Amino acid sequence: MVITDLGVADVRDAGALDAVAGVMPALVASPGDEAEVAEVLRGAERLGYAVAVRGGGTKLSWGAPPRRCELVLSTARLDALVEHEPGDLVCVAGAGMRLRTLQGMLAAHGQRLALDPPHGVDATIGGIVAANASGPLRTRYGTARDLVLGARFVLADGTVGYSGGKVVKNVAGYDVAKLLIGSLGTLAVLTQVSLRLHPLPACARTVAWQDLAPAQLDAVWRAIEQAPVEPSAAVSLSPGGALLVRIEGTLSGAGAQVESLLAATRDITSLVRALDDAEAAKAWTYAETCVWGGETVDPVAYVAVPRSALAALAERLAPLSRVAVVLPSTGTAEVRLPATTTVEDVLALRAWAARHGGHVTLRRAGAALASVVWPGVADDDAAVELMRSLKRALDPHGTLAPGRHLGGI
Amino acid sequence: MHAPTLRRLAAALDPGALLTAQEDVRPYECDALTGHRALPEAVALPASTDQVAALVRTCHADGVPFVARGAGTGLSGGALPVAGGVVISLARMTRVLDVDVINARVVVQPGVANAAVTAAVAEHGLYYAPDPSSQAVCSIGGNVAENSGGAHCLKHGFTVHHVVGAVMVCADGRVARLGGAVWDTPGYDLLGAVVGSEGTLGIVTEVTLRVLRRPQAVRMLLAAFSSIEAAAEAVSAIVAAGVLPAAVEMMDRLTREASEQAVHAGYPDCEALLLVEVDGPTDECLAQLDACRAICVDNGAAEVRVAVDEAERALMWKGRRAAFAAMGRVSPAYYVQDGVVPRTRLPEVLRGIGELAREYGMRVGNVFHAGDGNLHPLVCYDASVAGEAPRALELAGRILDLCIAAGGSITGEHGVGVDKACSMPKMFDGAALTVMDRVRAAFDPNRLCNPGKLLPTPRLCGEVPGFHRVHPLEAAGLAERW
Repeated sequence: MVITDLGVADVRDAGALDAVAGVMPALVASPGDEAEVAEVLRGAERLGYAVAVRGGGTKLSWGAPPRRCELVLSTARLDALVEHEPGDLVCVAGAGMRLRTLQGMLAAHGQRLALDPPHGVDATIGGIVAANASGPLRTRYGTARDLVLGARFVLADGTVGYSGGKVVKNVAGYDVAKLLIGSLGTLAVLTQVSLRLHPLPACARTVAWQDLAPAQLDAVWRAIEQAPVEPSAAVSLSPGGALLVRIEGTLSGAGAQVESLLAATRDITSLVRALDDAEAAKAWTYAETCVWGGETVDPVAYVAVPRSALAALAERLAPLSRVAVVLPSTGTAEVRLPATTTVEDVLALRAWAARHGGHVTLRRAGAALASVVWPGVADDDAAVELMRSLKRALDPHGTLAPGRHLGGI
Repeated sequence: MHAPTLRRLAAALDPGALLTAQEDVRPYECDALTGHRALPEAVALPASTDQVAALVRTCHADGVPFVARGAGTGLSGGALPVAGGVVISLARMTRVLDVDVINARVVVQPGVANAAVTAAVAEHGLYYAPDPSSQAVCSIGGNVAENSGGAHCLKHGFTVHHVVGAVMVCADGRVARLGGAVWDTPGYDLLGAVVGSEGTLGIVTEVTLRVLRRPQAVRMLLAAFSSIEAAAEAVSAIVAAGVLPAAVEMMDRLTREASEQAVHAGYPDCEALLLVEVDGPTDECLAQLDACRAICVDNGAAEVRVAVDEAERALMWKGRRAAFAAMGRVSPAYYVQDGVVPRTRLPEVLRGIGELAREYGMRVGNVFHAGDGNLHPLVCYDASVAGEAPRALELAGRILDLCIAAGGSITGEHGVGVDKACSMPKMFDGAALTVMDRVRAAFDPNRLCNPGKLLPTPRLCGEVPGFHRVHPLEAAGLAERW
């Protein structure tokens, strides 16, 4: 009965692993193409179901618990590489395509998508974009905001929209895709994403510093910023005070930059050296998996402060976190907190960040911290009012993950 | 407009900052798309966010359409007034409010000229990357509205990648803070949609920009090819080799000859001239330059010349930058088209443009950003010959059709404005346009904020588009169009 109403064959009952930020849905639908996505959404709206979107299921903990969620819409079957023109360094991927699969296909042409978010194995393109997830490569290549050239998407009423295109430079119409980046599926369901690609570097070298006290980390990073280098990726890891910096480029160019890195920071610490390839691979894998890996369900916070507060950030995180990955170039950090973290702890961290002009959100909260996932918003915040207005314009019945985003949107 | 409305607008401003006399508002009747003109009833010159908010509150309450205006260098009519409406000029808001060297942030008012941002941070070894060719005069507010590019956006990105925060007066006069100096402000990325929205979602009155550290080295080469196709192949080969140049520019014979007559850059005689600039740490930069040189030779370049010093590099750029203005030497008038094609489709689209030029018996010059496929065909015509101007426009329109058929875009950097609003349905179907209209309504339900721009309307699209005339800024040598 329900299956008929949703109009597609591929609908199943939900299980424990399908919960969205702790809320159990009744059903999971896996439409096979964009038309079916529209059909599922129209069916859900008819039935009064609230819908959460899922890609690889790696970020179901992100966002506040939706007020309702009867149906999970899985993009798993929208997993095709729709287009790839190597000469243009552009591809169009189905939202449900796994990042690892895409990277494998691109690597055959000496190319990559310059995004390395956590969960790189299972995460999908649509999920990465909808969550605005990124990793150390952000240092040079930015985030989805810098790499998404366009998107196709379906609104809650089944309207199929698109914006942007398959060219790097394009200012025709509103860049609606920007609004969907980080929207956690609350505005529309992404079906295809058009992406800017980069060539795989001929050579990659990693330099590692160890045991950096917060003030040393700040000094080292400032020296690196002043040095003639273009790091592709940089993370500092807590505990331990390690800093990893990856240089990518031509063989001769990368070699010279490694020398520049070593020379620039020699006066600050002697605990620095260039890693060999095996050591580097191990170090970067650790950086990618240390916050989210394992079976733990510890809370995870995302902290952003001005880059000038880097030393203060490292200082603040050291006693607080089980493990933290800081991007020194952006002043942002993903932090795994102890299971015993209380609402007061989160509010204290948030108040600290706010004093630096920064902010804190939770990317995994659990029931105990569900109320403090997002910062509070002022009643008269005109920007938040615009967000509410946008939500009403695109999803007037509040079908898409109502309550999952900032301010209960 | 009722007298009480005008009084309230005047009261929102400093004394004398509301212009209503015909001779005072006349200079605001168009931007650099001079074929479209409309006379506003009033021009307001606010000095602060509060004043802009007060103006917009009045417009909102009284149902008066308003159009924000920066330096007026826009090429798509984005700042074209609404007849009988209000123009809100940000030209007086020219203060650099804050320079934060450690965090590489600059906060400016919207009337600050693009080049003034770099000037404000140059002593710290920093610069503002987006470099539209009118950068000496065009304003940051206008850049935000149009998501302006420039020759160096291939490597360093567009305006949207460098704007991290803004204060925006919403269509109802409320003041919203979008983004901020710190990355990843919680909530939807409204700022990402506002940049490039052509002034239709609100009026930005303060902008926080990210600035970059100057690269250690910048190197440039030129290469002479016997055909546009060969030069385009070289561009693809450079990219395929993993090199990401800072800029890749191409000029065909017609534009190169015009430029050479004008500024004597010493360009070699050829069918297609390629200019490639690379930047970065010195060794990396030199390795990339070597790769580019080898690829150009492999692809049949008759001559490859590396600029030996800053003076020669400046001269290479001078010839390129002069190309548009120099076309005036070979044609009494021209229409500038702005289209984008995937880089790999450049050869066939340029061939198609050549065929169209022959079919119409008109000359079309090609000078463009080859690295990102952004074409600027210059359709030459003589307005004194009956029927030639409309034919030039028709030819320019058919060039856009070629771009769309190749999977490209109707505009890479000049914007839609009024110029191309009626071409939007060529790229976007009815449903996609409806979604964009819903976004617009979310920001501006009463449709008072720069109405008639960006999205097609029946009224607008019944009218005949206008033609290029030389803008006063161009005549004065302050701005070029490319």
